[in-house]
Amino acid sequence: MNTKNTTLSRTQFQFQPFHLVTPSPWPLLTSFALLILTSAAVMYFNGYANPLGGSGALLVGIGLATTVAAMALWFRDVVAEGTFLGDHTILVQKGITMGVALFIISEVFFFISVFWAFFHSSLSPTVELGAQWPPVGIATINPFELPLLNTILLLSSGATVTYAHHSVIEGNRRGAILGTLMTLVFAILFTICQGIEYVNAGFTIADGVFGSTFFFSTGFHGIHVIIGTAFIAVAFFRMLSYHLTDHHHLGFEASILYWHFVDVVWLFLFITVYWWGS
Amino acid sequence: MAEETVEIKTAPADFRFPSQNQTKHCFTRYFEYHKCLKAKGEISNECEKYAKYYRSLCPLEWIQKWNEQRDQGIFAGPL
Repeated sequence: MNTKNTTLSRTQFQFQPFHLVTPSPWPLLTSFALLILTSAAVMYFNGYANPLGGSGALLVGIGLATTVAAMALWFRDVVAEGTFLGDHTILVQKGITMGVALFIISEVFFFISVFWAFFHSSLSPTVELGAQWPPVGIATINPFELPLLNTILLLSSGATVTYAHHSVIEGNRRGAILGTLMTLVFAILFTICQGIEYVNAGFTIADGVFGSTFFFSTGFHGIHVIIGTAFIAVAFFRMLSYHLTDHHHLGFEASILYWHFVDVVWLFLFITVYWWGS
Repeated sequence: MAEETVEIKTAPADFRFPSQNQTKHCFTRYFEYHKCLKAKGEISNECEKYAKYYRSLCPLEWIQKWNEQRDQGIFAGPL
């Protein structure tokens, strides 16, 4: 009779519920990559050219590529540990969720500083701007054209990603895939529309403090949209590869939380920078 | 002996500009004067009170700079 129970339980060899990570080269690699990225960026901004010729932007590109690669390799290991090795116990999941939430809170504070800069200059415009906001001579963007479309796109993407999440919890694979795919479609449409706006804007980042605050705020928001899109895309491919279960899908939930944060920042941007600031 | 009373006064306190920094006050008076001139014509005397205010409040360098900017059409006020 072949009834021997060969199932191994974690409690048979690990007497505490946490995840003690095995040695990994990725944190060190990431820190070196970030060092290259930040020092190259500082040199590029200050006009120190590449000694081999060029503006120094190449090294920034190299730094960016190595940072992205190091992050990808690190996250790949996290996926392996969680999905295939079973290291993500309930308590580990709780810890990861807290970590994601804290990271997003830190990003909120970054955006608070960006909005602070905008309000500092716009609430009491200087005489050099004609003591008015928008400053004299700036051709502002009509908030009820493309920006309104962008708002609808992001709000809709929030709805589709919520539908996808509920589908995952209910075990509805088709709904989950369609919902996530629609979210990605809306996200990419948003980025395309912002690109069109940027190209056709009547002012540049160099056009006084209006240009600076506008492109700084919308630009950093756009970077976060692209990061959020990539995050959801990774979750999408993992979903297709059957990594997610109806109870355990932290990467997907983290990407959704990040996406909602991006959406809320856009709503603030729309109301203050686009609407009030025009 | 005729005594001439010399009247010395400056621009009145404007509740729109309550703080110590009166830059906006100076700019607003200068701008109001020129807006008034544009609306009522150069000869009219009604604009003179704004002129007195801005001449009291504003540093000469600023007045000269803004006059030059107006001549070149690059003045930063919505005239």
